[in-house]
Amino acid sequence: MEAKTLVSKLVSNIISWKIRSSTELVEETLNTLECIIKKSKDLNSLVLDIIYMVNEVIKVRPTAAMLINCSRDILLELNNVVNSKPKLPKAKEALLNKIRRIKGRMTNSIERIATIGANRIIPGDIIMTSAYSKTVMKIFEKALEQGKKFEVFVTESRPGDDGKIVASELSKLGLKVTLIVDSAMRYFMKYTTRVLLGAEAVAANGAVISKVGSSLMALIAHEARVRVFVAASTLKFNYETVFGELVRIPQAPEETILPGEVKEKIGGIKTEIPVLDVIPPEYVDAIITEYGVIAPQAIPLLMRDLLRTWPPKAADVSEIISNILEVTKSA
Amino acid sequence: MHEMKCPEEVYQIADDIRSMKIRGAGRIARAAAKALKIAAEKYEGPADVESFITYVDSVAKILLGTRPTAVSLPNAVMYVTSRLRRKRPVNVNEAKLIVKKTADDFINYSLTATEKIGFIGSRRILSGETILTHCNSTAALSVIIHAHRQGKDIKVYATETRPKFQGHITAKTLLAEGIDVTLIPDAAVRYVMKKIDKVIVGADTVAANGAVVNKIGTSNIALAAHEARVRVFVAAETYKFSPATVIGELVEIEERDPREIVDEKFLKENPNVIVRNPAFDVTPPEYIDAIITEEGLIPPQAAYLILIEKFGWVIQDYFISKYSLREEDEDWYQMS
Repeated sequence: MEAKTLVSKLVSNIISWKIRSSTELVEETLNTLECIIKKSKDLNSLVLDIIYMVNEVIKVRPTAAMLINCSRDILLELNNVVNSKPKLPKAKEALLNKIRRIKGRMTNSIERIATIGANRIIPGDIIMTSAYSKTVMKIFEKALEQGKKFEVFVTESRPGDDGKIVASELSKLGLKVTLIVDSAMRYFMKYTTRVLLGAEAVAANGAVISKVGSSLMALIAHEARVRVFVAASTLKFNYETVFGELVRIPQAPEETILPGEVKEKIGGIKTEIPVLDVIPPEYVDAIITEYGVIAPQAIPLLMRDLLRTWPPKAADVSEIISNILEVTKSA
Repeated sequence: MHEMKCPEEVYQIADDIRSMKIRGAGRIARAAAKALKIAAEKYEGPADVESFITYVDSVAKILLGTRPTAVSLPNAVMYVTSRLRRKRPVNVNEAKLIVKKTADDFINYSLTATEKIGFIGSRRILSGETILTHCNSTAALSVIIHAHRQGKDIKVYATETRPKFQGHITAKTLLAEGIDVTLIPDAAVRYVMKKIDKVIVGADTVAANGAVVNKIGTSNIALAAHEARVRVFVAAETYKFSPATVIGELVEIEERDPREIVDEKFLKENPNVIVRNPAFDVTPPEYIDAIITEEGLIPPQAAYLILIEKFGWVIQDYFISKYSLREEDEDWYQMS
């Protein structure tokens, strides 16, 4: 009951686009998970609650690779826990430890990406970005700390209008920032020296899944010979795509671009509001990961190095879940 | 030369254009032609042609000052004034008749142009096709609506068109015709391009080299279409073609109020955020497959042909007034 309320609150924040960055999405998920674990009163409901939560969150954002990768880690830990049949406090401790380690890894990777990314910013740069990426914000912050002078164009980034928040936050850091509509990307590209984007996921072929409009911006930058950098932790690698899995793009609710009263005036209109789109690797000059700057086409190499095997052996989330459920049932 | 009184109706029309009570390229152009006609009818000055021409020029100046960026307006005005000069009237009565007739000609030409464009353009659309359009263009919609009325089964994707959501008007117009419309955010144009068979947009101004100035975001769409090998059509009446660009003038891009993008509260809370709001962008001719005019379908690079055919005299007048060229040296221009 308690867990369900927490989960539905989180899910509604994701759908309504209150949580904009996929890193923040994972952070919020981990926080909620910690809450659920701490409040849990018996092992059985602990297991069911965690599985319920993971399923619900992945259902709304199946594209969020970091969410899937972190969920996999937690579920693998849960699998261990269930198999070793510990007492409740011991189980809680193991799971909370795991979450702490994941959080630590996330923080470290963002720190390292920020440093590496900031190195790529050259004084005098005019950088175009879109949407709200926690990692990109950190890079800007770091470059400012290094005393670099540069300016930023940020697109409004509909649906969700993330650009307004990005512009507001960056201006408060003392950065010269210009807000433009999404349609003005090409108009301003000739004044831009670099494009910097965040990512929701990176596929095995180096394609980058990011907020809708990112692929348009990358195309426009490519046309203008402006370099495109994507900041993405290796936690965002989508291993499933190695085996040909297609990434399904979630849709935003209609109200994000068409408020009820406007819709009424227009009548029987339909909408199509993709939240994300896919940047082909040929429009990405480099991906900035915590292990360094690499070409998108070299992503499989980094995947191999991270998992120490190729093809990657990343267990399927639903498979781990059914394993866990089997063990708990037989117990 | 003494000041001549300009009729009240002319000031009224000028005010209505300035305050955007009269809006849309076609309506503005026709209103300006009508104003010149009224001015000619009500002329009460000295009975010599020279004075009459000076008077018409002063009325033209008032009209041209109302909206500095819309090309249809100077085209309507110059259409009349250039012809008045060229026809060399011998007395004021003849001069008045020339103004009235050329003004009527222009109004007629403008009124029928959109219909003709719709007819010509619709022949390019096949049943079963999906069309993407941007902003709210009467000419582009004319093409789509004609195709639909011919019984072709078409679907339309309309961009919402920030900041002013003209896509909503487009959607409403097409829905009223019974056409299937899907609204998308402007950022999603590359995402949907794979499902699109043709892009049809309007134009604010067509430059001499075939570059099209249109609502901001048009060039994003044209590029994304080009990448996906989707054909791009621009529907534009010939009075959208800019004679001034033939003599090398640039098309000025208007930047509008930031409050179209963000509200007053945002501006107050974020005094250091710069908000830039260009109203138009320029689509290069290489991303446009054809411009649909009422005179037929042309490759954008042939814009010069339309300009000389339709505005030869106007261009010649530009050369004479701005570069002090003699009229005799310029007589190779077509006289239409």
